[in-house]
Amino acid sequence: MNITVCAKQIPDPSNEIVYENGLIKRPHEQVLDDTDRYGIELALQLKQKFDSQVTIISMGPSGSQKGLQQALQMGADKAYYVDDQELVGANSLMTANVLAELAKFSDADIVIFGTESTDGYSGTVPQQVSRFLRLDCISYVKAIEIDDVVTLTRQTLDGSEKVAMPEKCVISVTAGGVEPRYPNFKDIMAAKSKPLEKVELSSLNLTITQNLEFVDIQNIENSKNGTKIIDEGDAYLEIINKLKELKII
Amino acid sequence: MKTLILGEVVNNQLSVGTLELLKKANDLSLDCLIFTIGSEEKPLIGSETFNQTYIKRSKDFLQFNNIADRLFQIIKDEEIKLILASSTYQCRDLIAFLSVDLQASPISNVIDFNIENQKVFTINSISGGESLYKSKINSEYSLLLIRPKSFNPIDVELNTDYKIEEIENNNLNVFDIYKEEKTGPQLEDAKIVISAGRGMVSKDNLYIIEELANKLNAAIGGTRAIVDAGWMPYSQQVGQTGKTVKPDIYIACGISGATQHQVGMKDSKFIIAINKDEEAPIFQIADLGIVGDTLTVLPKIKDSI
Repeated sequence: MNITVCAKQIPDPSNEIVYENGLIKRPHEQVLDDTDRYGIELALQLKQKFDSQVTIISMGPSGSQKGLQQALQMGADKAYYVDDQELVGANSLMTANVLAELAKFSDADIVIFGTESTDGYSGTVPQQVSRFLRLDCISYVKAIEIDDVVTLTRQTLDGSEKVAMPEKCVISVTAGGVEPRYPNFKDIMAAKSKPLEKVELSSLNLTITQNLEFVDIQNIENSKNGTKIIDEGDAYLEIINKLKELKII
Repeated sequence: MKTLILGEVVNNQLSVGTLELLKKANDLSLDCLIFTIGSEEKPLIGSETFNQTYIKRSKDFLQFNNIADRLFQIIKDEEIKLILASSTYQCRDLIAFLSVDLQASPISNVIDFNIENQKVFTINSISGGESLYKSKINSEYSLLLIRPKSFNPIDVELNTDYKIEEIENNNLNVFDIYKEEKTGPQLEDAKIVISAGRGMVSKDNLYIIEELANKLNAAIGGTRAIVDAGWMPYSQQVGQTGKTVKPDIYIACGISGATQHQVGMKDSKFIIAINKDEEAPIFQIADLGIVGDTLTVLPKIKDSI
Protein backbone atom coordinates (compact mmCIF):
# COMPACT_ATOMS: atom_id res chain seq x y z
CA MET A 1 0.00 0.00 0.00
CA ASN A 2 1.38 3.41 -1.00
CA ILE A 3 0.69 6.26 1.37
CA THR A 4 1.07 9.81 0.13
CA VAL A 5 0.90 12.94 2.27
CA CYS A 6 0.31 16.39 0.83
CA ALA A 7 2.47 19.00 2.53
CA LYS A 8 2.60 22.74 2.12
CA GLN A 9 5.50 25.09 2.62
CA ILE A 10 4.32 28.34 4.15
CA PRO A 11 5.90 31.56 5.43
CA ASP A 12 6.98 31.18 9.07
CA PRO A 13 3.65 31.67 10.88
CA SER A 14 5.29 33.56 13.73
CA ASN A 15 5.65 36.46 11.29
CA GLU A 16 2.69 38.51 10.17
CA ILE A 17 1.32 37.61 6.72
CA VAL A 18 2.20 40.30 4.16
CA TYR A 19 0.23 40.73 0.95
CA GLU A 20 1.65 41.95 -2.33
CA ASN A 21 -0.68 42.51 -5.29
CA GLY A 22 -3.29 40.42 -3.56
CA LEU A 23 -0.98 37.48 -2.96
CA ILE A 24 0.71 36.29 0.20
CA LYS A 25 4.33 37.39 -0.02
CA ARG A 26 6.47 34.28 0.29
CA PRO A 27 10.03 34.50 1.53
CA HIS A 28 12.69 32.39 -0.18
CA GLU A 29 12.80 30.02 2.75
CA GLN A 30 9.48 28.67 3.92
CA VAL A 31 8.67 26.10 6.59
CA LEU A 32 6.50 23.00 6.81
CA ASP A 33 2.94 23.93 7.79
CA ASP A 34 2.40 22.53 11.29
CA THR A 35 -1.02 21.36 10.13
CA ASP A 36 0.73 18.88 7.83
CA ARG A 37 2.62 17.32 10.73
CA TYR A 38 -0.65 15.67 11.76
CA GLY A 39 -1.04 14.18 8.28
CA ILE A 40 2.55 12.95 8.24
CA GLU A 41 2.17 11.41 11.70
CA LEU A 42 -0.99 9.59 10.63
CA ALA A 43 0.85 8.27 7.57
CA LEU A 44 3.78 7.06 9.67
CA GLN A 45 1.43 5.17 11.97
CA LEU A 46 -0.20 3.51 8.96
CA LYS A 47 3.24 2.74 7.54
CA GLN A 48 4.04 0.69 10.64
CA LYS A 49 0.94 -1.40 10.16
CA PHE A 50 1.12 -1.93 6.42
CA ASP A 51 4.89 -1.89 6.00
CA SER A 52 4.47 0.63 3.23
CA GLN A 53 6.23 3.69 1.88
CA VAL A 54 5.32 7.25 2.81
CA THR A 55 5.72 9.78 0.01
CA ILE A 56 5.40 13.51 0.48
CA ILE A 57 3.97 15.57 -2.38
CA SER A 58 3.95 19.35 -2.53
CA MET A 59 3.31 22.16 -4.96
CA GLY A 60 3.97 25.87 -5.03
CA PRO A 61 6.56 28.38 -6.13
CA SER A 62 9.17 28.12 -3.47
CA GLY A 63 12.88 28.09 -4.21
CA SER A 64 14.04 26.42 -1.04
CA GLN A 65 12.67 23.03 -0.03
CA LYS A 66 13.34 23.38 3.68
CA GLY A 67 9.75 22.55 4.61
CA LEU A 68 9.93 19.28 2.68
CA GLN A 69 13.21 18.42 4.40
CA GLN A 70 11.33 18.86 7.67
CA ALA A 71 8.71 16.39 6.42
CA LEU A 72 11.42 13.87 5.53
CA GLN A 73 12.99 14.36 8.96
CA MET A 74 9.78 13.21 10.59
CA GLY A 75 10.19 9.87 8.82
CA ALA A 76 8.66 10.08 5.35
CA ASP A 77 10.64 8.10 2.76
CA LYS A 78 10.74 10.44 -0.21
CA ALA A 79 9.25 13.61 -1.61
CA TYR A 80 8.06 14.85 -5.00
CA TYR A 81 7.44 18.52 -5.57
CA VAL A 82 6.43 20.91 -8.29
CA ASP A 83 8.13 24.29 -8.01
CA ASP A 84 7.14 26.61 -10.83
CA GLN A 85 6.44 30.33 -11.17
CA GLU A 86 3.28 29.38 -13.08
CA LEU A 87 1.87 28.36 -9.72
CA VAL A 88 2.03 31.86 -8.22
CA GLY A 89 -1.49 32.70 -7.06
CA ALA A 90 -2.91 29.25 -7.87
CA ASN A 91 -6.42 28.96 -6.46
CA SER A 92 -7.60 25.97 -4.44
CA LEU A 93 -8.86 24.05 -7.48
CA MET A 94 -5.63 24.53 -9.45
CA THR A 95 -3.71 23.45 -6.36
CA ALA A 96 -5.87 20.35 -6.05
CA ASN A 97 -5.44 19.61 -9.75
CA VAL A 98 -1.63 19.60 -9.41
CA LEU A 99 -1.72 17.56 -6.18
CA ALA A 100 -4.10 15.00 -7.67
CA GLU A 101 -1.69 14.54 -10.59
CA LEU A 102 1.23 14.19 -8.16
CA ALA A 103 -0.76 11.64 -6.17
CA LYS A 104 -1.17 9.61 -9.36
CA PHE A 105 2.53 10.07 -10.09
CA SER A 106 3.37 8.63 -6.66
CA ASP A 107 0.92 5.77 -7.27
CA ALA A 108 -0.94 6.59 -4.05
CA ASP A 109 -3.54 4.34 -2.50
CA ILE A 110 -4.11 6.54 0.53
CA VAL A 111 -3.69 10.32 0.24
CA ILE A 112 -3.51 12.22 3.52
CA PHE A 113 -3.91 15.94 4.25
CA GLY A 114 -4.17 18.32 7.16
CA THR A 115 -7.62 19.90 7.23
CA GLU A 116 -6.61 23.36 6.04
CA SER A 117 -3.37 25.25 5.59
CA THR A 118 -2.31 27.85 8.11
CA ASP A 119 -1.75 30.57 5.50
CA GLY A 120 -4.53 30.07 2.95
CA TYR A 121 -7.29 28.47 5.04
CA SER A 122 -9.46 27.55 2.09
CA GLY A 123 -10.07 24.11 3.62
CA THR A 124 -11.30 22.52 0.39
CA VAL A 125 -8.18 21.04 -1.23
CA PRO A 126 -8.37 17.50 0.29
CA GLN A 127 -11.96 17.09 -0.88
CA GLN A 128 -11.15 18.50 -4.31
CA VAL A 129 -8.23 16.09 -4.73
CA SER A 130 -10.48 13.17 -3.80
CA ARG A 131 -12.98 14.23 -6.43
CA PHE A 132 -10.29 14.54 -9.10
CA LEU A 133 -9.09 11.05 -8.18
CA ARG A 134 -12.64 9.69 -7.86
CA LEU A 135 -11.80 8.32 -4.41
CA ASP A 136 -13.83 8.37 -1.22
CA CYS A 137 -13.01 11.28 1.04
CA ILE A 138 -12.88 10.74 4.79
CA SER A 139 -12.69 14.33 5.98
CA TYR A 140 -12.07 15.89 9.43
CA VAL A 141 -10.56 12.77 10.99
CA LYS A 142 -9.94 13.42 14.67
CA ALA A 143 -8.83 9.98 15.86
CA ILE A 144 -7.47 6.75 14.44
CA GLU A 145 -7.47 3.21 15.83
CA ILE A 146 -5.12 0.80 14.13
CA ASP A 147 -6.11 -2.77 14.85
CA ASP A 148 -7.03 -5.63 12.53
CA VAL A 149 -8.84 -2.93 10.64
CA VAL A 150 -8.15 0.79 10.62
CA THR A 151 -10.98 2.83 12.08
CA LEU A 152 -11.18 6.56 11.49
CA THR A 153 -13.26 8.83 13.71
CA ARG A 154 -14.69 11.86 11.90
CA GLN A 155 -15.62 15.15 13.51
CA THR A 156 -19.23 16.04 12.72
CA LEU A 157 -21.33 19.09 13.44
CA ASP A 158 -22.66 17.72 16.70
CA GLY A 159 -20.23 14.96 17.64
CA SER A 160 -18.43 12.23 15.78
CA GLU A 161 -18.86 9.08 13.71
CA LYS A 162 -16.59 6.21 12.74
CA VAL A 163 -15.77 4.67 9.40
CA ALA A 164 -13.53 1.77 8.41
CA MET A 165 -10.69 3.06 6.22
CA PRO A 166 -11.27 1.99 2.60
CA GLU A 167 -8.33 0.46 0.70
CA LYS A 168 -8.09 3.57 -1.42
CA CYS A 169 -9.19 6.97 -0.17
CA VAL A 170 -8.31 10.54 0.69
CA ILE A 171 -8.16 11.48 4.37
CA SER A 172 -8.01 14.90 6.00
CA VAL A 173 -6.94 14.94 9.63
CA THR A 174 -7.73 17.72 12.09
CA ALA A 175 -5.08 19.25 14.29
CA GLY A 176 -4.88 17.22 17.47
CA GLY A 177 -6.05 14.03 15.73
CA VAL A 178 -2.68 12.42 16.38
CA GLU A 179 0.42 13.54 18.27
CA PRO A 180 3.14 14.45 15.74
CA ARG A 181 6.58 13.04 16.51
CA TYR A 182 9.67 15.17 16.82
CA PRO A 183 12.67 14.11 14.78
CA ASN A 184 15.87 13.41 16.70
CA PHE A 185 19.38 14.14 15.46
CA LYS A 186 19.61 10.77 13.71
CA ASP A 187 16.34 11.38 11.85
CA ILE A 188 17.54 14.80 10.77
CA MET A 189 20.80 13.39 9.40
CA ALA A 190 19.02 10.46 7.70
CA ALA A 191 16.63 12.84 5.89
CA LYS A 192 19.53 14.39 4.01
CA SER A 193 20.01 11.28 1.88
CA LYS A 194 16.33 10.66 1.14
CA PRO A 195 15.05 11.29 -2.40
CA LEU A 196 13.66 14.80 -2.89
CA GLU A 197 12.68 15.04 -6.54
CA LYS A 198 11.35 17.87 -8.61
CA VAL A 199 8.56 17.07 -11.04
CA GLU A 200 8.11 19.38 -14.03
CA LEU A 201 4.75 21.13 -14.11
CA SER A 202 4.62 20.63 -17.88
CA SER A 203 4.68 16.85 -17.41
CA LEU A 204 1.36 16.90 -15.53
CA ASN A 205 -2.09 16.75 -17.07
CA LEU A 206 -3.70 19.97 -15.84
CA THR A 207 -7.19 21.03 -16.83
CA ILE A 208 -8.01 23.91 -14.48
CA THR A 209 -7.41 27.58 -15.20
CA GLN A 210 -7.58 30.68 -12.99
CA ASN A 211 -11.13 31.93 -12.45
CA LEU A 212 -10.55 34.29 -9.52
CA GLU A 213 -9.31 37.83 -9.99
CA PHE A 214 -7.90 40.03 -7.24
CA VAL A 215 -9.67 43.40 -7.17
CA ASP A 216 -8.30 45.28 -4.17
CA ILE A 217 -7.50 45.30 -0.46
CA GLN A 218 -9.04 47.95 1.75
CA ASN A 219 -7.79 48.65 5.22
CA ILE A 220 -10.44 49.31 7.81
CA GLU A 221 -10.10 51.21 11.04
CA ASN A 222 -10.18 48.54 13.68
CA SER A 223 -8.31 49.89 16.66
CA LYS A 224 -10.72 50.50 19.47
CA ASN A 225 -8.82 52.79 21.81
CA GLY A 226 -10.18 50.73 24.66
CA THR A 227 -9.17 51.15 28.28
CA LYS A 228 -6.03 49.29 29.33
CA ILE A 229 -5.25 48.85 33.02
CA ILE A 230 -2.16 47.35 34.61
CA ASP A 231 -3.30 45.00 37.36
CA GLU A 232 -1.99 45.91 40.76
CA GLY A 233 -4.36 43.63 42.59
CA ASP A 234 -7.77 45.21 42.11
CA ALA A 235 -8.13 45.55 38.32
CA TYR A 236 -10.75 42.79 38.54
CA LEU A 237 -13.07 45.45 39.97
CA GLU A 238 -13.08 47.16 36.57
CA ILE A 239 -14.50 43.98 35.08
CA ILE A 240 -17.06 43.64 37.88
CA ASN A 241 -18.15 47.25 37.36
CA LYS A 242 -18.47 46.70 33.64
CA LEU A 243 -20.53 43.54 34.14
CA LYS A 244 -22.80 45.51 36.46
CA GLU A 245 -23.08 48.37 34.01
CA LEU A 246 -24.05 45.92 31.26
CA LYS A 247 -26.59 44.43 33.70
CA ILE A 248 -25.00 41.00 33.56
CA ILE A 249 -24.74 40.79 37.33
CA MET B 1 -28.70 35.29 -11.26
CA LYS B 2 -30.11 31.79 -10.78
CA THR B 3 -28.91 30.67 -7.36
CA LEU B 4 -28.70 27.45 -5.37
CA ILE B 5 -28.49 27.62 -1.59
CA LEU B 6 -27.19 24.52 0.19
CA GLY B 7 -29.14 24.33 3.42
CA GLU B 8 -28.39 22.45 6.59
CA VAL B 9 -30.38 21.08 9.49
CA VAL B 10 -29.40 21.84 13.08
CA ASN B 11 -31.56 20.81 16.03
CA ASN B 12 -34.17 19.50 13.63
CA GLN B 13 -34.69 22.83 11.88
CA LEU B 14 -33.12 24.97 9.19
CA SER B 15 -29.71 26.13 10.47
CA VAL B 16 -29.12 29.74 11.38
CA GLY B 17 -26.34 29.80 8.76
CA THR B 18 -28.87 28.85 6.07
CA LEU B 19 -31.29 31.54 7.28
CA GLU B 20 -28.44 34.06 6.98
CA LEU B 21 -27.84 33.06 3.35
CA LEU B 22 -31.56 33.34 2.66
CA LYS B 23 -31.58 36.88 4.03
CA LYS B 24 -28.72 37.95 1.79
CA ALA B 25 -30.25 36.24 -1.24
CA ASN B 26 -33.51 37.98 -0.45
CA ASP B 27 -31.81 41.37 -0.14
CA LEU B 28 -30.21 40.89 -3.57
CA SER B 29 -33.51 39.57 -5.01
CA LEU B 30 -31.77 36.45 -6.28
CA ASP B 31 -33.81 33.80 -8.05
CA CYS B 32 -33.23 31.01 -5.54
CA LEU B 33 -33.67 27.29 -5.12
CA ILE B 34 -32.91 25.81 -1.72
CA PHE B 35 -31.72 22.25 -1.32
CA THR B 36 -31.25 21.26 2.29
CA ILE B 37 -29.21 18.19 3.20
CA GLY B 38 -29.89 16.28 6.39
CA SER B 39 -30.60 12.88 7.89
CA GLU B 40 -33.45 13.88 10.22
CA GLU B 41 -36.94 12.43 9.69
CA LYS B 42 -39.15 15.49 9.36
CA PRO B 43 -37.16 18.64 10.10
CA LEU B 44 -38.66 22.13 10.16
CA ILE B 45 -37.08 23.51 7.01
CA GLY B 46 -39.95 24.52 4.75
CA SER B 47 -41.50 27.94 4.40
CA GLU B 48 -44.14 29.67 2.33
CA THR B 49 -41.59 32.26 1.29
CA PHE B 50 -39.07 30.00 -0.46
CA ASN B 51 -38.81 26.89 -2.62
CA GLN B 52 -37.36 24.11 -0.47
CA THR B 53 -36.27 20.57 -1.39
CA TYR B 54 -35.04 18.20 1.28
CA ILE B 55 -32.19 15.91 0.24
CA LYS B 56 -32.46 13.18 2.80
CA ARG B 57 -29.33 11.18 3.39
CA SER B 58 -28.88 8.16 5.60
CA LYS B 59 -27.06 8.86 8.82
CA ASP B 60 -25.49 5.39 8.47
CA PHE B 61 -23.51 6.18 5.31
CA LEU B 62 -21.05 8.79 4.11
CA GLN B 63 -22.89 9.90 1.01
CA PHE B 64 -21.48 13.30 0.16
CA ASN B 65 -20.09 12.16 -3.20
CA ASN B 66 -23.53 10.84 -4.14
CA ILE B 67 -25.17 14.06 -2.96
CA ALA B 68 -22.70 16.12 -5.00
CA ASP B 69 -23.56 14.02 -8.08
CA ARG B 70 -27.23 14.84 -7.56
CA LEU B 71 -26.54 18.54 -6.96
CA PHE B 72 -24.42 18.71 -10.11
CA GLN B 73 -27.35 17.40 -12.09
CA ILE B 74 -29.69 19.95 -10.50
CA ILE B 75 -27.25 22.78 -11.26
CA LYS B 76 -27.16 21.76 -14.92
CA ASP B 77 -30.92 21.14 -15.24
CA GLU B 78 -31.92 24.38 -13.52
CA GLU B 79 -29.18 26.48 -15.12
CA ILE B 80 -27.87 27.56 -11.75
CA LYS B 81 -24.88 29.93 -11.87
CA LEU B 82 -24.32 30.89 -8.22
CA ILE B 83 -24.02 28.36 -5.39
CA LEU B 84 -24.04 29.53 -1.78
CA ALA B 85 -23.24 27.54 1.34
CA SER B 86 -22.13 28.12 4.91
CA SER B 87 -18.55 27.20 5.86
CA THR B 88 -19.48 24.01 7.72
CA TYR B 89 -18.02 20.50 7.58
CA GLN B 90 -20.72 19.16 5.31
CA CYS B 91 -20.90 22.15 2.97
CA ARG B 92 -17.13 22.37 2.60
CA ASP B 93 -17.10 18.78 1.32
CA LEU B 94 -20.01 19.37 -1.06
CA ILE B 95 -18.78 22.69 -2.46
CA ALA B 96 -15.28 21.21 -2.95
CA PHE B 97 -16.69 18.23 -4.87
CA LEU B 98 -18.90 20.48 -7.00
CA SER B 99 -16.01 22.82 -7.79
CA VAL B 100 -14.21 19.95 -9.53
CA ASP B 101 -17.31 19.01 -11.51
CA LEU B 102 -17.99 22.63 -12.49
CA GLN B 103 -14.29 23.46 -13.09
CA ALA B 104 -14.59 26.62 -10.99
CA SER B 105 -12.51 27.24 -7.89
CA PRO B 106 -14.68 28.15 -4.90
CA ILE B 107 -13.95 31.03 -2.55
CA SER B 108 -13.83 30.11 1.15
CA ASN B 109 -14.40 32.27 4.21
CA VAL B 110 -16.42 34.88 2.35
CA ILE B 111 -17.99 37.53 4.61
CA ASP B 112 -19.96 39.44 1.98
CA PHE B 113 -20.67 39.41 -1.74
CA ASN B 114 -22.53 41.31 -4.40
CA ILE B 115 -23.31 41.07 -8.08
CA GLU B 116 -22.34 43.70 -10.64
CA ASN B 117 -22.97 43.23 -14.36
CA GLN B 118 -23.63 39.52 -13.90
CA LYS B 119 -20.30 39.01 -12.14
CA VAL B 120 -19.95 37.93 -8.53
CA PHE B 121 -17.63 39.99 -6.31
CA THR B 122 -16.68 38.61 -2.91
CA ILE B 123 -15.20 40.09 0.25
CA ASN B 124 -12.88 38.20 2.58
CA SER B 125 -11.60 39.43 5.88
CA ILE B 126 -7.80 39.23 6.16
CA SER B 127 -5.13 40.23 8.67
CA GLY B 128 -7.45 39.58 11.59
CA GLY B 129 -10.16 41.82 10.21
CA GLU B 130 -7.91 44.80 9.59
CA SER B 131 -8.35 44.57 5.85
CA LEU B 132 -10.98 43.51 3.35
CA TYR B 133 -9.91 41.48 0.33
CA LYS B 134 -12.10 41.84 -2.73
CA SER B 135 -12.17 39.26 -5.55
CA LYS B 136 -14.03 38.92 -8.81
CA ILE B 137 -15.16 35.55 -10.12
CA ASN B 138 -14.71 35.16 -13.86
CA SER B 139 -15.94 31.60 -14.36
CA GLU B 140 -19.40 30.60 -15.53
CA TYR B 141 -20.15 29.25 -12.06
CA SER B 142 -19.54 30.98 -8.73
CA LEU B 143 -19.19 28.85 -5.60
CA LEU B 144 -19.09 30.62 -2.25
CA LEU B 145 -18.45 29.26 1.24
CA ILE B 146 -19.68 31.94 3.60
CA ARG B 147 -18.62 32.41 7.21
CA PRO B 148 -21.46 32.08 9.69
CA LYS B 149 -22.77 35.34 11.17
CA SER B 150 -21.89 37.35 8.08
CA PHE B 151 -25.54 38.34 7.64
CA ASN B 152 -28.57 38.56 9.90
CA PRO B 153 -30.86 35.53 9.64
CA ILE B 154 -34.11 35.92 7.70
CA ASP B 155 -37.21 36.03 9.87
CA VAL B 156 -39.60 33.38 8.57
CA GLU B 157 -41.98 30.84 9.97
CA LEU B 158 -40.75 27.32 9.27
CA ASN B 159 -42.97 24.34 8.44
CA THR B 160 -42.63 20.75 7.22
CA ASP B 161 -43.98 21.39 3.76
CA TYR B 162 -41.34 20.60 1.10
CA LYS B 163 -40.31 18.12 -1.54
CA ILE B 164 -38.18 15.18 -0.40
CA GLU B 165 -35.50 13.32 -2.36
CA GLU B 166 -33.73 10.36 -0.86
CA ILE B 167 -30.10 9.56 -1.60
CA GLU B 168 -29.23 5.95 -2.29
CA ASN B 169 -26.93 4.10 0.05
CA ASN B 170 -23.37 3.35 -0.91
CA ASN B 171 -20.72 1.15 0.67
CA LEU B 172 -19.20 3.70 3.04
CA ASN B 173 -20.81 2.57 6.23
CA VAL B 174 -20.70 4.84 9.28
CA PHE B 175 -20.97 3.50 12.82
CA ASP B 176 -20.63 4.48 16.48
CA ILE B 177 -22.38 7.78 15.84
CA TYR B 178 -21.81 9.92 18.89
CA LYS B 179 -23.61 13.11 19.83
CA GLU B 180 -21.70 15.42 22.13
CA GLU B 181 -23.57 16.20 25.31
CA LYS B 182 -24.32 19.88 25.18
CA THR B 183 -25.09 21.53 28.45
CA GLY B 184 -25.40 25.21 29.18
CA PRO B 185 -25.44 27.94 26.56
CA GLN B 186 -23.94 27.13 23.15
CA LEU B 187 -20.99 29.06 21.78
CA GLU B 188 -22.76 30.42 18.72
CA ASP B 189 -25.70 31.92 20.55
CA ALA B 190 -24.48 32.67 24.08
CA LYS B 191 -24.71 36.27 25.30
CA ILE B 192 -21.39 35.87 27.07
CA VAL B 193 -18.41 33.86 25.90
CA ILE B 194 -15.34 33.21 28.02
CA SER B 195 -12.38 31.90 26.06
CA ALA B 196 -9.13 30.38 27.18
CA GLY B 197 -5.68 30.60 25.63
CA ARG B 198 -2.17 29.45 26.44
CA GLY B 199 -2.06 31.96 29.30
CA MET B 200 -4.22 29.57 31.32
CA VAL B 201 -0.94 27.59 31.54
CA SER B 202 -2.48 24.13 31.95
CA LYS B 203 -5.63 22.19 31.25
CA ASP B 204 -6.00 21.75 35.01
CA ASN B 205 -6.69 25.47 35.36
CA LEU B 206 -9.70 25.46 33.06
CA TYR B 207 -11.99 24.75 36.02
CA ILE B 208 -11.56 28.44 36.92
CA ILE B 209 -13.16 29.39 33.62
CA GLU B 210 -15.85 26.74 34.02
CA GLU B 211 -16.83 28.06 37.44
CA LEU B 212 -17.02 31.63 36.23
CA ALA B 213 -18.95 30.55 33.13
CA ASN B 214 -21.46 28.77 35.33
CA LYS B 215 -22.01 31.89 37.40
CA LEU B 216 -22.40 34.14 34.36
CA ASN B 217 -24.34 31.63 32.25
CA ALA B 218 -21.58 31.93 29.66
CA ALA B 219 -20.35 29.55 26.96
CA ILE B 220 -16.72 28.48 26.90
CA GLY B 221 -14.40 28.76 23.92
CA GLY B 222 -10.72 28.31 23.25
CA THR B 223 -7.92 29.16 20.86
CA ARG B 224 -6.54 26.79 18.24
CA ALA B 225 -3.38 26.39 20.33
CA ILE B 226 -5.21 24.91 23.30
CA VAL B 227 -7.54 22.82 21.15
CA ASP B 228 -4.50 21.38 19.37
CA ALA B 229 -3.00 20.71 22.78
CA GLY B 230 -6.09 18.67 23.65
CA TRP B 231 -7.42 20.91 26.43
CA MET B 232 -10.79 21.33 24.72
CA PRO B 233 -12.71 19.64 21.90
CA TYR B 234 -12.49 21.11 18.39
CA SER B 235 -16.15 22.11 18.64
CA GLN B 236 -15.17 24.81 21.13
CA GLN B 237 -12.51 26.42 18.95
CA VAL B 238 -13.08 30.08 18.19
CA GLY B 239 -11.34 31.58 15.18
CA GLN B 240 -10.55 31.17 11.53
CA THR B 241 -10.86 27.39 11.49
CA GLY B 242 -13.33 27.23 14.34
CA LYS B 243 -16.49 29.05 15.24
CA THR B 244 -17.40 32.67 14.74
CA VAL B 245 -19.02 34.28 17.78
CA LYS B 246 -20.59 37.69 18.30
CA PRO B 247 -21.71 37.74 21.94
CA ASP B 248 -22.56 40.84 23.95
CA ILE B 249 -19.46 40.20 26.04
CA TYR B 250 -16.35 38.26 25.10
CA ILE B 251 -13.79 37.62 27.83
CA ALA B 252 -10.41 36.56 26.43
CA CYS B 253 -8.36 34.89 29.15
CA GLY B 254 -4.66 34.49 28.48
CA ILE B 255 -5.17 34.87 24.74
CA SER B 256 -2.52 36.78 22.81
CA GLY B 257 -4.91 37.49 19.97
CA ALA B 258 -3.37 35.98 16.84
CA THR B 259 -5.18 37.23 13.75
CA GLN B 260 -6.63 33.76 13.23
CA HIS B 261 -8.35 34.01 16.60
CA GLN B 262 -9.50 37.59 16.12
CA VAL B 263 -11.39 36.67 12.95
CA GLY B 264 -13.69 34.51 15.05
CA MET B 265 -14.50 37.03 17.80
CA LYS B 266 -13.60 40.61 16.87
CA ASP B 267 -17.23 41.55 16.19
CA SER B 268 -18.28 40.81 19.76
CA LYS B 269 -20.02 43.85 21.20
CA PHE B 270 -17.75 44.30 24.21
CA ILE B 271 -14.37 42.62 24.47
CA ILE B 272 -12.58 42.15 27.78
CA ALA B 273 -9.00 40.87 27.59
CA ILE B 274 -6.80 39.67 30.41
CA ASN B 275 -3.19 38.98 29.49
CA LYS B 276 0.22 39.27 31.12
CA ASP B 277 1.85 40.64 27.99
CA GLU B 278 1.14 44.34 27.65
CA GLU B 279 2.01 44.18 23.94
CA ALA B 280 -0.41 41.32 23.16
CA PRO B 281 -2.39 42.10 19.97
CA ILE B 282 -5.66 41.25 21.74
CA PHE B 283 -5.45 44.62 23.52
CA GLN B 284 -5.80 46.44 20.18
CA ILE B 285 -9.34 45.17 19.80
CA ALA B 286 -10.29 45.02 23.49
CA ASP B 287 -12.72 47.52 24.96
CA LEU B 288 -11.35 46.76 28.39
CA GLY B 289 -7.87 45.33 28.79
CA ILE B 290 -6.33 44.11 32.00
CA VAL B 291 -2.58 43.62 31.93
CA GLY B 292 -2.19 40.92 34.53
CA ASP B 293 -2.20 37.23 35.33
CA THR B 294 -5.44 35.58 34.29
CA LEU B 295 -4.98 32.96 36.97
CA THR B 296 -5.19 35.56 39.75
CA VAL B 297 -7.73 37.93 38.16
CA LEU B 298 -10.38 35.33 37.28
CA PRO B 299 -10.85 33.83 40.76
CA LYS B 300 -11.30 37.32 42.19
CA ILE B 301 -14.06 38.02 39.68
CA LYS B 302 -15.73 34.74 40.47
CA ASP B 303 -15.57 35.29 44.23
CA SER B 304 -17.11 38.73 44.03
CA ILE B 305 -20.14 37.71 41.99
